[in-house]
Amino acid sequence: MAENAEPSEETLNKPIQENKRTTEEEKRQDLSSLLLPNPKDLPQIPPTAVETNFSSYFVADFMKPGHDQYIYRHANGLCVIGLARAHLALTETGGVTVVDFNVGKSDRSELKVTGKRKRNALQFESNSALCKVSTNGNSYIVRCCVKGSLLEVNDRLIKQPDLLNSSADREGYVAIIMPKQGEWLKIKDSFLSYEEYVQLRGLS
Amino acid sequence: MTSSGPAPELKTALIKAKPFLPPCHVIHHLLSTGVCIRCIFRLSGIHDRDCYTSPLDQSHFMFFLEEHNDNDIKSNFTTITYCSICLGVLCSVCCVQEKTGAAFKEITSVNDFVLFISDIIKREEYQIDGFSLEVSVPPVIVANDRALRLHIKQKFEKEQWFNDKFLHDHMSVKDSLKLLLNASLEKYLAVQSVESLSSPFHIRLTYSHSETSQKLQSLVLNCRDSKKRERGSGENGSSKKASNESDASIYRALDLIGDHDFCTRFLVPPGKVDKPCQLVVACHRTPIYIAGRYLKYSRNVSQSRWIIDDERMGEASVEELIGENVLQICRGDGYKFHSAGREDIDVRMLGSGRPFLVEVLNSRILPSYTEIEQIADNINNSDKKLVGVGNLKLVGAEAWNMMREGEAEKQKEYAALVWISRPLTDDDVSNLTSLKDLDVSQKTPIRVLHRRSPLERSKIIHWMKIENVEGTTQYFLLHLCTQAGTYIKEFVHGDLGRTHPSIGSILGCRAEILQLDVTDVKMDYFD
Repeated sequence: MAENAEPSEETLNKPIQENKRTTEEEKRQDLSSLLLPNPKDLPQIPPTAVETNFSSYFVADFMKPGHDQYIYRHANGLCVIGLARAHLALTETGGVTVVDFNVGKSDRSELKVTGKRKRNALQFESNSALCKVSTNGNSYIVRCCVKGSLLEVNDRLIKQPDLLNSSADREGYVAIIMPKQGEWLKIKDSFLSYEEYVQLRGLS
Repeated sequence: MTSSGPAPELKTALIKAKPFLPPCHVIHHLLSTGVCIRCIFRLSGIHDRDCYTSPLDQSHFMFFLEEHNDNDIKSNFTTITYCSICLGVLCSVCCVQEKTGAAFKEITSVNDFVLFISDIIKREEYQIDGFSLEVSVPPVIVANDRALRLHIKQKFEKEQWFNDKFLHDHMSVKDSLKLLLNASLEKYLAVQSVESLSSPFHIRLTYSHSETSQKLQSLVLNCRDSKKRERGSGENGSSKKASNESDASIYRALDLIGDHDFCTRFLVPPGKVDKPCQLVVACHRTPIYIAGRYLKYSRNVSQSRWIIDDERMGEASVEELIGENVLQICRGDGYKFHSAGREDIDVRMLGSGRPFLVEVLNSRILPSYTEIEQIADNINNSDKKLVGVGNLKLVGAEAWNMMREGEAEKQKEYAALVWISRPLTDDDVSNLTSLKDLDVSQKTPIRVLHRRSPLERSKIIHWMKIENVEGTTQYFLLHLCTQAGTYIKEFVHGDLGRTHPSIGSILGCRAEILQLDVTDVKMDYFD
């Protein structure tokens, strides 16, 4: 930053109000220069929020062929579960038409988890059913994959099942699980990385 | 006995006391029982400060009495070292330790006492403009008082003077001590004393006398247990060997013992003691507050000290960078950092800065303008420009409330660097800038869901402005003003649809946030 030169005669004789405005102006400009990035430093396509904040894992043929799911694990331990790209439901013509959370012993969309301690959360095994996803001809059960407490299901899928067709990897997520203490370490090695999954399914 | 007589001020004090004092034979009796002069004054109902502050000694007292004698009783007894009632407390006699672990030494005069206290203040280099005394005496002294009164009643209640002079309300040992010490300390320290802890600087005197206190405790417990046995509460009293009972419970137990019972168990009048009390002096200042605004220039500095598994997250913390500097200049025992909200470790705090308070515990000084400027300089001129401060000033405890109030109410301004999945159009810009007081519903962001309640919070985006980033088509600077508590990052990328509307949903494409800066936190009190 250039050294400030000695104030000239002109500046000294300017009325105080004007000088004050200049300092305000200067402050704004200083702030502006701090905020604006150098376009050369910016990537063409930045990483997504999921890429930045989560580690992605995949499971192929979970309990049944073609039942591929993803597990996004946040640094705080929470896991987001959803349908992976090559899940059979997403490849059918017409895609997903109905999502029903009333499976197993209760309607998963009715749960009310409260408080910091996450009371009333249902305890799931890795093979517990989260929901049933239906297409024109078939239906598929989406399962938990990680043993833990069910914190939330994406109830938007009830009214907007099409979210699974447009963005199964983001807004079409199925549920958020809080893994039981110690469970993650036991199970993480059985999952695939993104590269491994892509290779396995022969995707681009 | 020298017959020079008492000095004029002593004489005045004694003349003031005379009308209250009981007859000579009573005083002789009390003195022979081991009661000190100040306790005699107390029990006679004297409240005048001069009577307690004048340096009284027995020879002058006796001389005075003999001059004003009703009958001719020649006195002949030894000086009382430790009063059987106040255990030497009112005679300014006690045992102290210079430092923990050092040998105990005895203080025998009010001057030595005052010197001892002022040495402690000087050693810690406390700067004071006033003080308030807190005194704690062992319950046995109150029991002694009661015992003596009962004894006087037993012995002298038939005498004529008794009803006039004895049944006054009289000062406790604690109050008389404060009276006499406040005056001497004020003179020596050259500052005012203040009643009832309203001064920030406290001098706490804790007296203890283990020998007599233990006797009292077992006496009281025995009494309590035997009462329980009488009432048949089914408890085996003798099996309970109490560890130190609190003063409060001893007072409570004493209250329950009737006078008759008391006299059978307690020595009436109290016996003489051969050791004075032990005294512990503790000085302490109530917290002072330094307010200001901080700026955070780094994206690798957390707000508060953040350590996981013995490793620090980030390079430093705002809390420590500011707090350590304040602590150093104020020479306090510790500090607490409070701020109006907080920002993530990777978010800069720019513009006017975020209001904060540093609470300094037991500060040795009352920082002056120059010292506060010094704190600001130390922080602002450090090698690594991680944090900056401004508007530093000393404030009162009300600042705490001002900050808490402002936190939930005030609006905050931000600048976010946003990328969208297609080029930005003019329609997009007018679309976003036309939205005023937009309602946004945010489910608890996944990144904090592990430690916060799963709720849906409704927030308001007051306004938005777009600034293009030259040389790019899909990047822009989003300036926005929002309600306190709004999660900005989630408003941009949508948090998997859990925040809606979001920038992405409004523009109909995918939006990501690369950087976030806080540009303004409005709070007048901190300007």
